[in-house]
Amino acid sequence: MIRQPISTRLTVLLGIISVVALLAGYTLLSSMQHLDNPDDTTIPTWSQLGEGLQRLIEANPRTGERWLLLDAEATATRLFLGLFCGILGAIILGLLMGCYAPIEALLVPPMSLLAKIPPTAALAVFFVLVGTDTEMYVAMIAFGVLPTLAQSVYLAVHDVPREMLYKAYTLGASQMELIWNIIVRAVFPRLIDAVRLQIGPAMVYLIAAEMILGDVGFGYRIRLQMRLLNMNVVYPYLTFLAVFGFTMDYCLRLLQRVTCPWFVRHGR
Amino acid sequence: MKTRTSRYILIAAALAVILAVPAIWIMIRADEVPTFSLAWSEYPSWSAFGVAHEFGFINGKKGEIGPIEKKWGVDIELKEADYDTCLVMYGSGKCDAVCITNMDALIPCLTRKSVGILPTSTSFGADACIVDARITDIQQLRGKKVYGLAKTVSEYCFVRNVEILGEKEADFRFTNMDPAAAALAMQQKRDGFDAIVVWNPFVLETLNKRKDARVLFDSTTIPGEIIDMVVMTQESLDKPGGDKFAWAVIDAFYTINQQMAKSETRDETLIALGEKFSNLDLNSMRKVVQQTRFYSSPEEGIKVLGKEATAGIMEKVVAFCVSHEIVPEAPAVGFGSRAEAKEVAFRLDPAYIKGYVAKSK
Amino acid sequence: MEHPLVLEIQKLSHWFGDNLVLHNLDLNIIRGEIVSLVGPSGCGKSTLLRAIVGTHPPCRGQVAVYALGATTPTVVVNPSRDRGIVYQQYSLFPFLTAAQNVAMGLMLDQTSLPFRFFRHMSWRNLRRRHLEEAEALLEKLKLANAIRLYPHEMSGGMCQRVAIAQALIMKPEILLLDEPFGALDEATREELQRMLLTLYQENIDARAKGEDSPYTIMIVTHELNEAIYVGDRVVALSQFWNWQEQGHLRCPGATIVLDQPVPVYHPDEERNFETFIQVRRRIRQAAFESSVLQDPREYKTFAADLASGRGEGVLR
Repeated sequence: MIRQPISTRLTVLLGIISVVALLAGYTLLSSMQHLDNPDDTTIPTWSQLGEGLQRLIEANPRTGERWLLLDAEATATRLFLGLFCGILGAIILGLLMGCYAPIEALLVPPMSLLAKIPPTAALAVFFVLVGTDTEMYVAMIAFGVLPTLAQSVYLAVHDVPREMLYKAYTLGASQMELIWNIIVRAVFPRLIDAVRLQIGPAMVYLIAAEMILGDVGFGYRIRLQMRLLNMNVVYPYLTFLAVFGFTMDYCLRLLQRVTCPWFVRHGR
Repeated sequence: MKTRTSRYILIAAALAVILAVPAIWIMIRADEVPTFSLAWSEYPSWSAFGVAHEFGFINGKKGEIGPIEKKWGVDIELKEADYDTCLVMYGSGKCDAVCITNMDALIPCLTRKSVGILPTSTSFGADACIVDARITDIQQLRGKKVYGLAKTVSEYCFVRNVEILGEKEADFRFTNMDPAAAALAMQQKRDGFDAIVVWNPFVLETLNKRKDARVLFDSTTIPGEIIDMVVMTQESLDKPGGDKFAWAVIDAFYTINQQMAKSETRDETLIALGEKFSNLDLNSMRKVVQQTRFYSSPEEGIKVLGKEATAGIMEKVVAFCVSHEIVPEAPAVGFGSRAEAKEVAFRLDPAYIKGYVAKSK
Repeated sequence: MEHPLVLEIQKLSHWFGDNLVLHNLDLNIIRGEIVSLVGPSGCGKSTLLRAIVGTHPPCRGQVAVYALGATTPTVVVNPSRDRGIVYQQYSLFPFLTAAQNVAMGLMLDQTSLPFRFFRHMSWRNLRRRHLEEAEALLEKLKLANAIRLYPHEMSGGMCQRVAIAQALIMKPEILLLDEPFGALDEATREELQRMLLTLYQENIDARAKGEDSPYTIMIVTHELNEAIYVGDRVVALSQFWNWQEQGHLRCPGATIVLDQPVPVYHPDEERNFETFIQVRRRIRQAAFESSVLQDPREYKTFAADLASGRGEGVLR
């Protein structure tokens, strides 16, 4: 039967099986590639991966740099700054769009258009607007996530029942109080959901930009080491990205549960 | 009832024939000529292979052969991709030969024994350091960021010129950036972009679009050090038909060079070479082929693959790659036949050009 | 004894483009009353309610509210704190607990955003007092166990009770209930009806002492029994009246076709179904029978009934 529930034990078991199958599949692929060429580095074995991991965690003997620390710091700074600006802008614009009809009419069309443009393709525009340093990455992420996020906030504001707003007026709310104490509170969990969905695109934009422009960062290291055929460095980096994305997602879900205990997802 | 059963049998038989015929045909074809693949990216002397396909000298599709392939009895499969992708493809064994520079060839040769079979061109101005007009001397670049793709021929060209000009590499800040992006930033006159090291078409494009920019130095100071070539794995060469493939690739390259030498086909060939390379016009393309000096005759090719001409150069390149952590260890580089250069990772062998010359007579 | 007014509706008409909804309504509501507003569906009950709340002011005519002790009324132009409202749905803020929901009005009414941001310490003390006040009111309405619950954790009946508390804590001149018990089961509904009657008893007691009655309520409902049971007066709105005889070419909208006092019940008192049947028959005749188009004045006897002493409760 469709949607027939299964026991928790089976759920956990199947989850473990899928991960094990993934790892086993990789091992098989790697051993097949090494059968073909014992010196292969493009599908590294687990021991090669270990060496690669060691290489990016340990200090470089010549320069004393720790790649992972260096890259993580650069990438995380860019990502968080970019997300912060994008989210803040999206909240403000989304609220204004949702609350005031003239701003809605003014901003909805450009937002729906901009939401479809991958910011990495408009590199030249960002160069002119914000140069090529950290600001560029920040702007790229911010502009990448802002239109979609603003649309989500706008739609969430629209979904706040009118009754709730009228009610607030009868309780003596001012315009600002209505926005801050009612609308912002009501859309907050949906904002978190929208942000969760934008973490992935934000990371894609950042990595793509770093691949082209960076002299430090995850994207830079991945492209460089890929060209040097050091896949045993590249794959751990990809894993870190995946783990990072997963952790962000988990933290946001946690934040949602802690800050919005009242929020019940429909259809559960 | 009986007719019905026989009808089914008839249909099944027809289906079997329909399925079997192409399979058998492919098997026969595959038996006839072995297929080898060549990965190439858009670059003047490498686009020769794309043009050879376009002009019908070879057929780059798998399973189809052109006149040159027929002559040598081998099927060349052309795989066009981005330069980086070509490198990864070659490194992971997804192609038999690749168009690559002598410097980048040192990376995959550590895991796949490689043989340089054909030098196609050398950079003679195609890699250049372009600076703002205010900068007239390399000393002015001290402490400033110089943008270019790190750990590539761009950095090599920069470092070698710094040495030649009597400066120390440590005084300069070579900063990683994609050449397309660096050229874009330079053309937009972004702050801090006083110097970039890029390769063609970005050199010509930047000079065309920013009249006040000038070349501080370029690869004309290091002629023959950056060599564009076709590199093939030893493993593929050892396969039956591997040498035929090498000969056919060499033949295709020199055929296009002959087209360029002939006045009636020269322009057409140049336009074809430049078409996908960049949106440069015929005049610019004439300049491009000067800056990317083709090794257009077998004699030149044989010379470049020889120990006398290139051993010293390869030593420098290997030293650079090791000191800049492009390779974890120095690959052994040798010249001549397998017997002459035993156990080397990267071997430059003029035997295949010689073979092509001998068999073409 | 004199009957002070709370709400005064004069010559109110409303339409949406070609769709004529309300025609020339006049209605005065006396302090301390529970007025039940009934009518066939689509007759414009909600439109009238919106005009009173102030979210959708009428196209013509006006609604005005008398503040306590005032002799001149204030015309309604937008929703404001002198009129409380309880909707059938979304009656509470889902992101606040019951106590916070009730304290919301106190917060919005007594403090401003800058005060709450910049004078955080004073605000925290005040906030504690607000919550205490809210909890006291919830306890009075038998909701002590719901104080810390979120709306999604409460039953529909509890939610509506909290919503009434949320509105009452503002001490509005009039409390408007828009089909408040429509989604509740029979037993819960009766419980809440009795709660309204308890409030009404306070009105009667206050009036007996010569004080102002604290709660004036208008309840919109489609349940005739509920209208008769909780109200001391029933007002029926209907589009079925003799508009042709009054010179209109098409129906100019619904108007008040019945306005009469009805018997008042004590919360513990059993209903008298005899009277219910009589009143119901009158309401049906006046408002729900599309074949009977009578003069709207025929059943609009409230003023006369009041003068002749036929009103009960606070109307006595």
